Amino acid sequence: MATPRDIERAGERVANVKAAGLTYADFRAVRLTTEDLSLIDGKPDKIDRKTSFGFGVRVLVDGAWGFAALPGCDEDLARQALDTAIAIARASARLAAAPVQLAPITPVRGEYQTPFAQDPFAVPLPDKVDLMRRLDAALRQTPGITGTETFMSFRREEKWFYSTEGALITQTILHSGGGMSAAAMRSRREVGERSYPTSGGQHESGGYEVITGMNLEAACAQTAQEAVALLDAPVLGEQTATLILSGDLVSLQIHESIGHPLELDRVYGSERNFSGTSFATPEKRGSLRYAAEIVTVLSDPSAPGGLGTFGFDDDGVPAAAKPLIQNGLLVDYLSSRETAARLGTASTGAMRAESWMNLPLVRMTNMNLAPGSGTLAEMIAETDRGVLIATPASWSIDDRRENFQLGGEIAYEITGGKLGAIYKNPVYSGSTVEFWNSCDKIAGPADYRIWGTPNCGKGQPGQNMRTGQGAAPARFRNVKVGQTV
Amino acid sequence: MLRARDQVFALLEAALARSPGEATELVYHENREATTRFAENLIHQNMDSTDARVIVRLVKDGKVAVASTNDLSDAGLAQVLDNAAQIASLLEPDASFPGLADPATATAVRAYFESTANDSPAARADAIRQIVDLAKPQGIQTAGLYQVETQAIAVANSKGVRHWHTETRAELSISASEDATTAQGWSIGAARDRTRLDAAQLGHVAIDKAMRSRNPEAIPAGDYTVILEPAAVGQMLLFLGFLAFSGKSFAQGRGVLSGKIGEKVTGDNITIYDDAFLPEYPGVPFDFEGTPKQKVALIENGIARGVVHDRRSARQAGVASTGHALPPDNARGPYPKNLVMSPGTASLDEMIASTARGILVTHFWYLNYLNPMKAQLTGSTRDGTFLIESGKITKPIRNLRATPAVLEVLSRAEMIGRDRVVYPQYSAVMYVPALKIAAFPFVEDTES
Repeated sequence: MATPRDIERAGERVANVKAAGLTYADFRAVRLTTEDLSLIDGKPDKIDRKTSFGFGVRVLVDGAWGFAALPGCDEDLARQALDTAIAIARASARLAAAPVQLAPITPVRGEYQTPFAQDPFAVPLPDKVDLMRRLDAALRQTPGITGTETFMSFRREEKWFYSTEGALITQTILHSGGGMSAAAMRSRREVGERSYPTSGGQHESGGYEVITGMNLEAACAQTAQEAVALLDAPVLGEQTATLILSGDLVSLQIHESIGHPLELDRVYGSERNFSGTSFATPEKRGSLRYAAEIVTVLSDPSAPGGLGTFGFDDDGVPAAAKPLIQNGLLVDYLSSRETAARLGTASTGAMRAESWMNLPLVRMTNMNLAPGSGTLAEMIAETDRGVLIATPASWSIDDRRENFQLGGEIAYEITGGKLGAIYKNPVYSGSTVEFWNSCDKIAGPADYRIWGTPNCGKGQPGQNMRTGQGAAPARFRNVKVGQTV
Repeated sequence: MLRARDQVFALLEAALARSPGEATELVYHENREATTRFAENLIHQNMDSTDARVIVRLVKDGKVAVASTNDLSDAGLAQVLDNAAQIASLLEPDASFPGLADPATATAVRAYFESTANDSPAARADAIRQIVDLAKPQGIQTAGLYQVETQAIAVANSKGVRHWHTETRAELSISASEDATTAQGWSIGAARDRTRLDAAQLGHVAIDKAMRSRNPEAIPAGDYTVILEPAAVGQMLLFLGFLAFSGKSFAQGRGVLSGKIGEKVTGDNITIYDDAFLPEYPGVPFDFEGTPKQKVALIENGIARGVVHDRRSARQAGVASTGHALPPDNARGPYPKNLVMSPGTASLDEMIASTARGILVTHFWYLNYLNPMKAQLTGSTRDGTFLIESGKITKPIRNLRATPAVLEVLSRAEMIGRDRVVYPQYSAVMYVPALKIAAFPFVEDTES
């Protein structure tokens, strides 16, 4: 087990490295502790605690990158990783262009700790399991429920960052999340399913108060009743409609069609072979009407409670709110020091690695859509004819992030300002810029929250990042919804 | 370098000896991944990461707990055993736990090659240079991945199971483009032995396809005859792995094949099985519970024959495990990681020549569930989509969104390729041919 002194010596070893052609190096050690609990039909399906500790060293030598990562951490291992990273960088330089430049920053010596009220790792396991059992029992009180799932997940990440520029940052980031789902199945093809607070649960930065604040028990009856009602609901047929999306679906829509296309490494082609590219090319900055004027989206890692909330990114850039879409206009990208230098801007502080063994990539932080005004109830009341789709169930978008098809768990018909019949398997599709320009209403702060996405995939080797999207329910006009039935 | 077998088993024996559980299962997994990525004809990411961890499944008083660590010191292993014991003590007995596997012999496979384990960043840079040298004179930019991986897996339990496996994997994939929209091509190769990957040949395929896909035209959405290249077939099969072939959803009655064993689910010409002993790409010959892996017929001449099981799903279904358990900290249930589709007799050229009007698909992007109960997916075509008219490829076309219900479209396979390709995706590997399928549904032009 590495001591704090081992980590300090290893970090300093990298921060003080000298090698021919080396212009930058950083060291990032991470100790990760996770706890995942799930019950299926009231019985334990997964009760698992994991710890992982190690460090990665990133170097720029002869203008090119090298990265090496090892488990554990001490000065000898740091020396070994440095040697490997330098050799790798020299190999990279055999096929490199102009030397990599990093947008300048003032190196920080600082600390960050996620604020929390109750340490989830200190909450006794039986208390957590008891809560999940109570939820299971409450969901089953509704006749017709044939399957349930309840789950919780907790994650503590301790990080140490040193760089040759003099940065020395320590952070402890705490995430808590959970949720539940109920299914009513009559036959393999006749299934109704509902989730709460959203599919895959809600995940935030914070402690066990995230779980207790979800009002899970109070939501069981409606969740289960809707699952049963969906059994006999028809499939939503194809039509062009006024569409209201629930906040968690707006979150997914932001993630797929604003967050990913604005990752600047992707814009420059770094993900060409895997995640794809982006239609939002750099010459469009400052001129592309990405969305309607009421749409403003910020990258905000400083916003409390998001899965993209931290003190400093993995380039050592302090967290700060930066507008990316301002009143509908594309004004900036999610960027790293390297990609920002290429664009000629300051980094927006979005360089993040899943763990110690991964190279940081440009990732979403919290992609927050500024709330509008009024409530979801008012938005429905002022909609004469339309469809409300709630809770993500399906998502796919092309490799340039233009054409998407997303689906929800349930749709409600809106007639004369009132919710009516429900439909199962609702989908909708569109093209990113056209869709966001059709947004004519965003609900206000009362219906706004930062939704957590704990499973955003990118990179090779694949990295699973945890991102936030601040969203309230929103309305879009003339959208293709439903499917041929 | 991987830890030696003796060193690993000394560590596992010591942990088993000190375990407070009445039964204990240990999985050792060491992994070294060296990855060179390139884009815009330049190397932009280059890395080497190693990790080794032990996953403990501990049974005490009928209670079952899982914990893992990558701290393999004496203190670290003592701590993870203690963690597992503590978790177990707080739970209720798990009546559905099927117990640990009994010792049995697994057939060894040759999946480890020094050529791959000893590959260097310099050698990867040289291979990428070969590709770039082919692309640049054509005005084509390449992007891609050259990755080598070395793994050791050991499973030991208190009933005497002792399994050990080492393997290497080399993967080279290449995207070629003129710019983001006007020309796209792609190729992929994977092998246990990296000397079997031909960078120049793979580069040629991707670059040639990109050059042929300049100035794609829009065509209306609708049902078309398609020729799916092997990667596109593999991508659809990957989803069947979760939706249809996993014993967990099958036993819960939620699998696409639940209640359908013995019934016709695809055309007569479709046969799919899981085979970890395929000479072209052998897999791990045992699973993470220590059960020797069986070759499992999943669909045979169109008839649903079975699914893969771990010990828990097998018990639920009243059968024996087929040796397809994932690691104990994975709740997904058993999964077929070596999916194989039987070949047909047609060459790709013959499929094209026999097509009056149709679409050639290189592969898909972002396939995802649309209607899981029907095994219906949604996703877009990518990296080279062409129109076929009167038996010839006549022009490149813009990408389209497809919504295939996989078993339904496999009921309309008119021709099956004679040549198969190793296609890796995530932690699975497929060995699949090209397919010609009638009435394949496309719903939208993705670039309109």
